[in-house]
Amino acid sequence: MEPAIEVRDLTVAYRERPVLWDIDLTVPSGVLMAIVGPNGAGKTTLIRAMLNLVAPAAGHVRIFGRPYASVKSSVGYVPQRGSVDWDFPANVLDVVLMGLYGKLGWIRRPGKAERALARRALQEVGMDHLVHRQISQLSGGQQQRVFLARALVQDARLYFMDEPLQGVDATTERAIIALLRALRSRQKTVVVVHHDLQTVPAYFDEVLLLNVRRIAGGPVSEVFTRENLRLTYGGRLTFLELPS
Amino acid sequence: MTPFQLEIQLVAIIVAAASALPGTFLVLRGMAMMSDAISHAILPGLVVAFFVTGSLSSPWLMAGGALVGVGTVALVEAIRRTRLVREDAAIGLVFPALFSLGVILIARYAGDVHLDTDAVLLGELALVPFDRWIFHGYDMGPKALYAMGGVLAVSLLFVTLLQKELKLATFDPGLAAALGLRPTLLHYLLMGLVSVTAVAAFDAVGSILVVALMVGPPAAAHLVTDRLDRMILLSVGIGALSAVGGYWLAWALDASIAGSMAAVVGITFLSALLWAPGRGLLAIRRRRRRQRWTFAHKMLTIHLAQHERQPDQPFERHVEHLQDHLHWEKEFADQVVRRAVRAGLITRQGPQLLLTQAGRSLANEAIVAD
Repeated sequence: MEPAIEVRDLTVAYRERPVLWDIDLTVPSGVLMAIVGPNGAGKTTLIRAMLNLVAPAAGHVRIFGRPYASVKSSVGYVPQRGSVDWDFPANVLDVVLMGLYGKLGWIRRPGKAERALARRALQEVGMDHLVHRQISQLSGGQQQRVFLARALVQDARLYFMDEPLQGVDATTERAIIALLRALRSRQKTVVVVHHDLQTVPAYFDEVLLLNVRRIAGGPVSEVFTRENLRLTYGGRLTFLELPS
Repeated sequence: MTPFQLEIQLVAIIVAAASALPGTFLVLRGMAMMSDAISHAILPGLVVAFFVTGSLSSPWLMAGGALVGVGTVALVEAIRRTRLVREDAAIGLVFPALFSLGVILIARYAGDVHLDTDAVLLGELALVPFDRWIFHGYDMGPKALYAMGGVLAVSLLFVTLLQKELKLATFDPGLAAALGLRPTLLHYLLMGLVSVTAVAAFDAVGSILVVALMVGPPAAAHLVTDRLDRMILLSVGIGALSAVGGYWLAWALDASIAGSMAAVVGITFLSALLWAPGRGLLAIRRRRRRQRWTFAHKMLTIHLAQHERQPDQPFERHVEHLQDHLHWEKEFADQVVRRAVRAGLITRQGPQLLLTQAGRSLANEAIVAD
């Protein structure tokens, strides 16, 4: 089967400082993949490069065998919750509808059909009772679920999620994981920037260990080893207990 | 009301509406200061366009101003990107430089024409009816009406047709770019619109009032509403009302019209800051007070519930004990007890406090929810 993502020789630099160095990555279709690595490892930059939001200094990215621009309607993106201003004058439904702006194209506005899709996506993340809630009045976990609903409504084949489990309560974490598994059962591919090493083996099929360079990547059972983690995190890795 | 008075107010309303539309997005993007920068920085563009065309009412003036306005934004962005100074400092560096260039150009080469620095800063709305458009011998009304009307029409088209694009590009530019909605292009279109509005308005109301009209009404509207489309409409309404109110204030005080309008905008914003439902300062204070009592009630019921059916109950539920256990001043403790009795959470038997069923369930909910 054709891989969802192929990254070859990808290098991204801010001025002279390389943020990602010569990354090769193949993500098979229909898997849940985690990207882990220390702060400043380039996790977010890698996602943004795959979404064509930052220009690479070298190398290229193929999504389903094609450049991003020609498959962008099949790609969903959940940025970090903290990257937007939640005081923006909008309610939950408004934000979820934003996921459909790409399909709508320029000028056309969302109508009844789009609102129905948005409500269904909110149902899937258990937020359908808060459709008209102002977004500044949501808890962190609820904000995250609104962002997920906004991605779901895109009905993409491939999702990028930047730290969706960062700072959410246990209930939301369970809901999000259930959602990721539901996506996988629908043959979707999900790439998640993740920070909690303990839960990697339980939640994900594949993992990329990243620290500016690719340290290791592949099935969790093969590459998520103490040795690889030490190479990724250096000496800062003291509290992790791996299932042996 | 004389026809002149009517014309002045009409122009003022149109200026206010045309400023509020792009202003809404400036405020939401946290770029309110950019309106200040642009409205000042366009001056050299206007002066140079004036030298080239020899006229103060040529459309080239607007083009020149718009070009310098967008250039200002690009320059600020370029300086910020060096990461040697922050954006606010970059704005503060660019626009005084361009503005002073304009002032020097006027002083040096245009001392004898109607382009003086007072008019640049404050404009003169009172003179608007005297510069009229005569078409084939017919009096079509003040020229400013048409210039500003045209700008308002463009702004209206821009924010109506592209409202969803502007919304996403403002709220989440990353997703906008990923979906192919060109946030950078929209950003520069918006800045171009701000520049054109500033150029068209500066003759009538000057560069200071444009800033007041672009920032004040949207900032006030943001406090009052939670929806973008309502915020846009409300900004336009607040701007228009401030324009009319300012005109009559100036009439009553025999003061500058532009200055009075800016003052009314300020007063309107202050009123919203104080009285806006939900977000205003008074609403926040009311809410804090209410939360204080609610919290005290919870503390009291939880305390009593913890010691129900315990041997130490008579001691723990004694009204005097609250001062020790919950660190409450006597006066506050008495007030809490009185309010809790009134709310039906507890009953008093002499100095003993007893939970009611309602009080018991409040305590249970509070413990579970927290």
